[in-house]
Amino acid sequence: MAVVLPAVVEELLSEMAAAVQESARIPDEYLLSLKFLFGSSATQALDLVDRQSITLIASPSGRRVYQVLGSSGKTYTCLASCHYCSCPAFAFKVLRKSDSILCKHLLAVYLSQVMRTCQQLSVSDKQLTDILLMEKKQEP
Amino acid sequence: MAETLKRVLSRGGAAWSREENTPAAGPPLLLLGAPGSGKTTMLFAAALEAAGEGQGPVLFLTRRPLQSLPRGTGTALDPMRLQKIRFQYPPSTRELFWLLCSAHEAPGPAPSLLLLDGLEEYLAEDPEPQKAAYLTALLLDTAAHFSHRLGLGRDCGLMVALQTQEEADSGDILHLALLQRYFPAQCWLQPDAPGPGEHGLRACLEPGGLGPRTEWWVTFRSDGEMMIAPWPTQAGDPSSGKRSSSAGQP
Repeated sequence: MAVVLPAVVEELLSEMAAAVQESARIPDEYLLSLKFLFGSSATQALDLVDRQSITLIASPSGRRVYQVLGSSGKTYTCLASCHYCSCPAFAFKVLRKSDSILCKHLLAVYLSQVMRTCQQLSVSDKQLTDILLMEKKQEP
Repeated sequence: MAETLKRVLSRGGAAWSREENTPAAGPPLLLLGAPGSGKTTMLFAAALEAAGEGQGPVLFLTRRPLQSLPRGTGTALDPMRLQKIRFQYPPSTRELFWLLCSAHEAPGPAPSLLLLDGLEEYLAEDPEPQKAAYLTALLLDTAAHFSHRLGLGRDCGLMVALQTQEEADSGDILHLALLQRYFPAQCWLQPDAPGPGEHGLRACLEPGGLGPRTEWWVTFRSDGEMMIAPWPTQAGDPSSGKRSSSAGQP
């Protein structure tokens, strides 16, 4: 990631990645750590992963972006290279600098990377541009 | 980008170092300063540095074409290097968004450095924080994509200049806090001088965890050439009532 997560989060995610086989369960000790670090966002993020709500969209150029189907039925876009999510909770937390650094959608993206489980979708380069652009026009 | 800027700054004083073939550009860097503090010149110097022999092209984004090419930094403006700098002029925030979102569609080799001058103008068009965050994040994402295209061991650096005001309002402060989340490295340019009767700029480079803060003294000769020297750290000279804490205190 271009923007670095706090060391403790990085460490936890890389330990989890080492411990978890593809699509296997996360050991309890890591679940506890996640909940400690992220509170209720951890449970909601795990739920999103379980429900296969994360899609990695890639185009032939190699550029990628994530989309997460939120619990409300709305789809949010998360960038693959740095912390950005189009959800209102992220905007709120970005505004309030002292609040947590990740929304549940971004956390779900990281967890799906660790567990190596998410939907994959291939689109054309032009379609990827449209997906990235759409976020600019999203209604508040 | 912080590493590239550091090389630009350290070239001014010391002999050219062994770092010539360092491919790493360093973390994304935010260049800050009031109007006229030399940000555009510094960006251009970084562009020339990155366009050196054996290195990739450079993409320089700015709202308006530069009236005149900023002066060099000790070496003549090498035409070979100049040729490698590609200028693009997105006239509005919408155009800039389009340019960044479609960067993966652009043909040709990926640049090794992405520069943007005047971020404050683009942010001013649409100050809503989520849009500001998205624009910033897209800059990082675009640089990350170029890094991916460059391949193993090579990075695309990112350097963005933001004009700051003497009297910052709450909107500016919010934007700055937001930008600092995304840019680990920052360089502040402000008018200052190490001693009485001297003038110039103080460049204060925070490399974002890569090392200690370093400070440099930037002046312009009468022919417009930029001269850079390390900021003198000896506190022997009483600053005669001028900015007293400017003597390189870390």
